Amino acid sequence: MIHLFLFLPLIAALIVSLIPDRQIKRWTAALAAALTLGIGLGLSLNGGAALERYTWISQLGMTYSVSLEGVSLLLSLVVAFMSLLAVLYAGWKVERSSAMLVLVLMMESTLLGIFMARDLVLFYVFFEAALIPSLLLLSMYGGPNRLTALTRFAIYTIVGSLFLLAAIIGVKVYGGAPTFALEDILKNPIPKNVQTILFLGFLAAFAVKLPLFPLHGWLAQFHEENHSSGVADVMGTLYKVGGYGLFAWALPLFPDAARDLHIPLMWISAFTAIYAAWIAFSQTSWKRLLAFAGLSHMGMVGLGVFSLNATAATGAMYLLAFQGVYMGALFLGVGMLASRAEVNAARPEGYGLGVFQGGVMGSAPILGGLTMTLWLAAIGVPGLAGFVGEFSILFGSYQVAPWISFTAGLATIAAAAYALTAYQKTFWEVSPEDAHLSSDHPEEAHDLGHTSLVSRIVSDLTPLEWTILAPSVGVLVFFGIYSAPALNLIQPAARALMGLFTGGSQ
Amino acid sequence: MLTFPDVSLTALLPIIISLVTACVATLGGLYTSRQNVAYIGLGGLVLTLLSLIALWNNNTTSFKGALLADNYAVAFSVVIVIGALLSLIASLDSARKAQLNFPEFDALLHFGITGCLIIAFAGDLVVLLIGVEVMSLASYVLATFQTSRRAEEAGMKYFLLGSIGSAILIYGIALTFGATGHFDFAGISSAIAQKDFANNTLLVMGSLLMLAGFSFKVGMAPFHQWTPDVYSGSPTLVTLFMSIVVKTAAFAGFVRVFQVALGSSDAWQIPLQILIGLTVIVGNMAAIRQNELKRMLAYSAIAHSGYLALAMLSEPSSGSNALVFYLLSYTLMNAGAFAVIGAIQKDDRGATLEDLRGLFYRRPMYAVAMGLFLASLAGLPPLGGFIGKYTLFSAAFSNGYVFISVLCIVSSMYALVYYLRPAMMMFMRVEGGEMPLQLESRPSSGVTIAVSAVGVLLLGIVPGVVLGLLEGAGKLLQAMQ
Repeated sequence: MIHLFLFLPLIAALIVSLIPDRQIKRWTAALAAALTLGIGLGLSLNGGAALERYTWISQLGMTYSVSLEGVSLLLSLVVAFMSLLAVLYAGWKVERSSAMLVLVLMMESTLLGIFMARDLVLFYVFFEAALIPSLLLLSMYGGPNRLTALTRFAIYTIVGSLFLLAAIIGVKVYGGAPTFALEDILKNPIPKNVQTILFLGFLAAFAVKLPLFPLHGWLAQFHEENHSSGVADVMGTLYKVGGYGLFAWALPLFPDAARDLHIPLMWISAFTAIYAAWIAFSQTSWKRLLAFAGLSHMGMVGLGVFSLNATAATGAMYLLAFQGVYMGALFLGVGMLASRAEVNAARPEGYGLGVFQGGVMGSAPILGGLTMTLWLAAIGVPGLAGFVGEFSILFGSYQVAPWISFTAGLATIAAAAYALTAYQKTFWEVSPEDAHLSSDHPEEAHDLGHTSLVSRIVSDLTPLEWTILAPSVGVLVFFGIYSAPALNLIQPAARALMGLFTGGSQ
Repeated sequence: MLTFPDVSLTALLPIIISLVTACVATLGGLYTSRQNVAYIGLGGLVLTLLSLIALWNNNTTSFKGALLADNYAVAFSVVIVIGALLSLIASLDSARKAQLNFPEFDALLHFGITGCLIIAFAGDLVVLLIGVEVMSLASYVLATFQTSRRAEEAGMKYFLLGSIGSAILIYGIALTFGATGHFDFAGISSAIAQKDFANNTLLVMGSLLMLAGFSFKVGMAPFHQWTPDVYSGSPTLVTLFMSIVVKTAAFAGFVRVFQVALGSSDAWQIPLQILIGLTVIVGNMAAIRQNELKRMLAYSAIAHSGYLALAMLSEPSSGSNALVFYLLSYTLMNAGAFAVIGAIQKDDRGATLEDLRGLFYRRPMYAVAMGLFLASLAGLPPLGGFIGKYTLFSAAFSNGYVFISVLCIVSSMYALVYYLRPAMMMFMRVEGGEMPLQLESRPSSGVTIAVSAVGVLLLGIVPGVVLGLLEGAGKLLQAMQ
């Protein structure tokens, strides 16, 4: 079952690519995505799936080991859930979406693989393989400057992952484990003298994918140039697996190195959080703003992981899981706004939708309301899922390094500032002359001579958009109020991991 | 008294079949069309392949060890013949377009293949040299075969520089013989191990000259200058052949000489590391600046020579296993990539990066296949190129050559940029303006492309089959003590 969960989207992608008819294509894709989510939920009722291990390439000590437990289960469910939303939105809203459906499904499989792999090389294979659909989504559906964005994204990722590859070879050579299976590597600890250098190899890859300052240079352009529907951005957000990589691989493998380096890394993470929030404040394009908001959250995730404290690490994984939901839904929300933009509008400021739209709330209150809720989740308002994560991270890291925690805490204040300002400019305020959102009856509006916010009549949510936004908000509210199911998945792993660090407080 | 020489025809069988095929192709051209000659050639290659499979695990020798039909030779020969088959299949439809549709083309191709097989089977330096010369002469002519200025220039350049390479190689062989008194690999190896040689300086000079000579042949910096011009100037079909078959054969000889004959000498490891370092840096850096796909792949071939040469720094058995595996993947991905270029090019100048733009929307299968080949060349999992790179790098790494293996890994970052750029451009929609590509259907090139694509995928997902075969056969190469 676990293998079906992992490979069903990939198989579906192959099938979908062969179906000529658009209608059957999208129904197949949606069905497969829903089925995957269903299998995932079914597995989670039994507490996931235990480790399954088969020899893959015996000559090279590579195994096919997968399991679905704890953090992996939670993150996999988020991937399956968001992929379903992405498939629905892509299939019924995006034009010429056939390749997009295939790529989203391919990416779903590789992302699930990243979270389920319990073999270092298998993990690397999925980690790299996810890059291919991600790049293809950008190159097939991207904006005019996608080649630059693409090259930059590829270079950052590849540079990091090649260091990771070198470190993986080093793990085998210096640790002397017979295979790359996680259990075998853990039984053969890496000698202390090479831990730091190998840890840095892992860090290079995961810091790019987290991303952490100063390796975040690819992020804003990546989101800005991706398709305006936001489908690719959803997958891109889920692909930010650096925090998970650190938690599941880098820390257990190199505990000594992690302990030596964790304070400077916490500073870098805290700085990333606040620096990204600062930059987000001055963005005029929605997608760039979301990109930097996401970066700020990732700084928090990094802080939580590097605290080497069970509470903070639990918070980090919680935040990582649910930022996938609210950032993804926000990207789709922006996509919905963008789909209401005038088709021929000149967009000098770039491919993305600007924040200066104004007055959307007047005619599309439900879109406005749901987006607001998503933003509130993102800025960590109690009662929504984001809060649980951020609070745990700050609470846990405070016990380790109060000043760093305080610095990072400033980012949550800044988040309220950039998020609410941008929200206000689009949904309230008076619509400026050059706003791109179309009204359904422009002549009528002109005739009436309205210039106030009511003049731009933006259509409200379609049923499809309801099915996208409402479940996301529902999930966020549910786990904001009742976080135990998710926390119970994370906590044992976090506690066990942090037991390795005697310096940890719990 | 006259004794009958030690001739084992079984060990010679693949070479004989290939030679007979070449002769038949030469004469057959007088009686029948090129197409028929090509089919006869395909039959010959299949027979060669079967005879190789029969020789697997037999470890016979012939001519008192001057010809070794051990698993090492057989494994490389299989890769060579697979490459030759792919080239020949692709030539069935692309030769006419390239004005290469003469039976003489087939004859030369088969003579070249015979030379390649002799190199792989060589057990002493003289046989090796004969193989190298047969192979080189055939490929010089193949490069000039097309009546175009570009091809003539490429062939001339190839001939002149290749001759210098051969001359250096001969000097190296002579000096090594002078130092040790042996031509055969086993003899040289035992002479060095027992310090039973005349002059150390002579031996060092000999091995360094051979290193330089082989570096010419495989295109390692700073002896690589001929590669870009020859690869881009020759007809694409010939480039396809040269980039895989000739290179595999050259490496078969290169590694056998240095791992077996000179395995116990420590004169060449440091110069080799310098050459590898230079090669991967020069190859990858120059490839980034290329706009012509054939030139780009030429520089990529240079960089790959650097990776492949890492096998000589590895422990012999793991190194040669890794080398055979990588050469097999390399053969498939390069054959596929050049076959795609051959199928979409306007003329034999090949295609530029711009030409690839939007290929997916006109010929989706070509684009998907090309994407696979480029990703595999770049070493992305789960494709054959990734496993190949991994085995090569980790073999050298675990043998203690950490710095040079990490340098190779790091330099392949550059490689990703130039492989990914064309790969991504194929999937970008063209805004207005059709690209002037020829898009007639190419059934037999399609076969080469499809076989290569499936092979690259399978080598990435179930590499255990090939690796197990290589490992199950015992060590391909053992340093002789």
